[in-house]
Amino acid sequence: MASGSEVGEVAAPIEGALSGISSELSVRGEVVSIRVRPEDLREAAERLLRLGFDHVKAVTAIDRPGEGIIEVVYHASSYGNPGLTGIIAELRTSVPRDDPRVPTLTEIWPSALYQEREQWEMLGVIFEGHPELERLLLPEDFGGPPPLRKDFKIPTEGINA
Amino acid sequence: MGALGWILGLLLSPWVFVPLIYPGLVSAFAVLLFIIWFERKLAAKVQRRFGPYYVLRHLGGATQLVADLIRYLFAEPIIPEEADALAFVMGPALLFGLTLLPVVAIPVSGTFYAIRSDVSLLIVLALLTLGAAMTLIIGWAGNNKFSLIGGLREGFLSMAYEIPLFVAALSMAAAYGTLDLVDMVEVQAETAWGVALNPLAAFVFLVISFLATSRFPFEISEAESELVMGPFTEYSGIMYGLTMGASYLKYYVLCLLFSIMFLGGWEPVPPQLAAVPFGPGVVVFAKALALMALGVFLRAVYPRYRVDQAIRLAWHYLLPLSVASVFVSMGAAWLGLTGA
Amino acid sequence: MSGAGSGERTLELLIGPQHPASGHMRLVAEVDGDVVVRLRPDIGYVHRTVEKIAETKTYLQTIPLIERPPLADTANHNLGYVMAVERLLGVEAPPRAQWLRTLLAEMNRIHSHLYGLGIHGIMLGSSTAFMWAFGDREIMIEMAKRLTGARITYSYMIPGGVRRDLPPGFAEEMEKALRYLERRLPDYDRIFFSNPVTRARLEGVGVLTREDAIRLGVVGPNLRASGVAYDVRRARPYAAYPELDFQVVTRSEGDSMARMLVRVGEIRESIRMIRQILARMPDGPILAERYAKMIPPKWRDYVRETGRIKFPAILASLRPPKGAEAVSRVEAARGEAVFYLVSDGGPRPYRMRMVTPSLRNVVLFSHLTRGCRVADIPAIYGSLDYFPPEADR
Repeated sequence: MASGSEVGEVAAPIEGALSGISSELSVRGEVVSIRVRPEDLREAAERLLRLGFDHVKAVTAIDRPGEGIIEVVYHASSYGNPGLTGIIAELRTSVPRDDPRVPTLTEIWPSALYQEREQWEMLGVIFEGHPELERLLLPEDFGGPPPLRKDFKIPTEGINA
Repeated sequence: MGALGWILGLLLSPWVFVPLIYPGLVSAFAVLLFIIWFERKLAAKVQRRFGPYYVLRHLGGATQLVADLIRYLFAEPIIPEEADALAFVMGPALLFGLTLLPVVAIPVSGTFYAIRSDVSLLIVLALLTLGAAMTLIIGWAGNNKFSLIGGLREGFLSMAYEIPLFVAALSMAAAYGTLDLVDMVEVQAETAWGVALNPLAAFVFLVISFLATSRFPFEISEAESELVMGPFTEYSGIMYGLTMGASYLKYYVLCLLFSIMFLGGWEPVPPQLAAVPFGPGVVVFAKALALMALGVFLRAVYPRYRVDQAIRLAWHYLLPLSVASVFVSMGAAWLGLTGA
Repeated sequence: MSGAGSGERTLELLIGPQHPASGHMRLVAEVDGDVVVRLRPDIGYVHRTVEKIAETKTYLQTIPLIERPPLADTANHNLGYVMAVERLLGVEAPPRAQWLRTLLAEMNRIHSHLYGLGIHGIMLGSSTAFMWAFGDREIMIEMAKRLTGARITYSYMIPGGVRRDLPPGFAEEMEKALRYLERRLPDYDRIFFSNPVTRARLEGVGVLTREDAIRLGVVGPNLRASGVAYDVRRARPYAAYPELDFQVVTRSEGDSMARMLVRVGEIRESIRMIRQILARMPDGPILAERYAKMIPPKWRDYVRETGRIKFPAILASLRPPKGAEAVSRVEAARGEAVFYLVSDGGPRPYRMRMVTPSLRNVVLFSHLTRGCRVADIPAIYGSLDYFPPEADR
């Protein structure tokens, strides 16, 4: 099993690759977490891609109304580089909740295409430059606010009402 | 008594008997009811299921198709608003009728037939091609994209299979030196069965009879996973029943033709049947049915080809093979094998 | 007839959601004659808002929820979720529980692959492949029932362990089942995999190159059929996988045939793995000490005798530390499943992200069908083993 030191070994080149970008690095199990500012997101992703993180496993937006932010988290890893397959790079950034705009990473990681679209639909995060920010999972006539935001009221019926 | 005798005489006269009873409508229905049940039962056997079971359980659900027929009869036939109503309604009836039409030129025995013509083979082949045109019209009438594509596929396929079919059939005519189906059987009785004289033509004819009637692996124009039900997508009730039956019917006609051309027709006639005028027909019927059983068994064996693959098969392989079969026939005739 | 730009040459074909071979989705295909110009998958018809519902349920209640979308492949997703919860809580399941989890995960992989092969069969028109696969899948369902008490949705893995121990006589019964499956695979080969028609339909159809597979983030057998030897069980081994001997099945062709054959190879590997697991299963408890000692004393004898866990009350109100986050990935049958859990210290997940293999494979629909034939659409669809409820969640 890959040990923590292995992750630590990878953290160093990641840190090196991200030099010049203001970022915070932390290691959690197999995950190397990198926090960047939204304007540095593209640059950081490009450098990670060059390092060998060739695909995105998950795109997650997290609504944090208490802090007035929405966090956008990309989990990237590698298929092509055997040294990196055991590592997950967690690229995260925060945007203000009332104007959640981040640049899309679909040009860098085409694997983020559908998941960015889903997070746009579910949390209202606007991925600027995304080729098709259209409804994906919700019904066409869905009118409410983005449903995965914390202030979305779940309509109940029957015994729970 | 006189009236009954007159009716019986009328029914047993070849001009009524052939189109109406055998090999026409009544036996065609019997074949449909049997062969579809048999197909389902056979596929179920291969696939470790029971197949039809509950309708007449002691006979393995043998009357399942009767129940299905009744259900089709009483189901509401829906005519889509956007469809061309006349073509939509007439399509299945004409398809069914035209597909059955060739049987009028198929002889039951050497002495019992509705039409004896010295070109009866050509009559059967010509009437056989009419069905495909109806399928095209049906595909267009439903005003459904899947129907349209299915109809077009049928059109492309019929273009591809009809030439080799004709050539293979005519190569046998060359071998026997006649276009008359009755004479063909008689030549075979004197020499050998067509399948031995010209196995190549028999092979081509057999493969094309699968191709022309949507048997697997050529179940292409209806391909459920691609086109829902192909040209027949919009049909319901008995109209659907007719369209579904039509392909089996065409297969039945082709198998009758194959039995006559390649399997010696009604020869050898068992002596018990020789006395009845239409008795020898039972032999042809049995041969055709056995051949149909082979065709429906393929459902359990093969997936389906793509339409372009089937068309390529017909043009690239079956057509040259059918042409080659003409030379085989000529060789057989030259060697005197056909006695001509 | 569809319009702008493409002129009047093309026809827009709406395949699904009411179509025999569309599954619960719609494929919007633009066809020029028999050639597909463009195909767009329209998913979401079976969206169940799993991620939102998870925010209203406790960590334990979320387990059955997770199992609903990937229906033929519940155990692997159950495992992925439970691994993430355990990471949040800092619990680890005892070795025997790890091996039991691996056992069920591999049984489920066989079941899911047979399901996928059957669907692929009927999409090509081979009803025999369909009926056989769906019949033989019953074997693994029955064995799973003996192990867990449920046929499909086992909810077998719980934080800290598993619900039930191995029933007596299980190994012998399983050996019979595996021998039967091994006998059947050559039959499948004769009637379906090596059938000339199947090969004509699948070879060279829907070719995915290695570069595209990596770029598009494809997962599972679809990825390995394109020559990428990525398997979470190897890349980041979990449960009992570090101690098992198995091959990562790969092929280099990248076509529909290769994708199918990788699944067949994986069935064989899973059979090998199940044998190893049953032969080398360690003894010991099946629930982490931390929770086992909270089982009420009056139930302890029952648990010891029957091997069935009575849930201690703590499981109903698990509270991971505030701000804790965990990512887990498992190799589910259809590919890699990723779970990302965020805790706010409460009894419910603050955010539960579930990325299923099918969601990551959606992208292949438009990629692989460009320029293919209309009849290739079901052939490619089936080869992806795509499962709409799993993608929609």
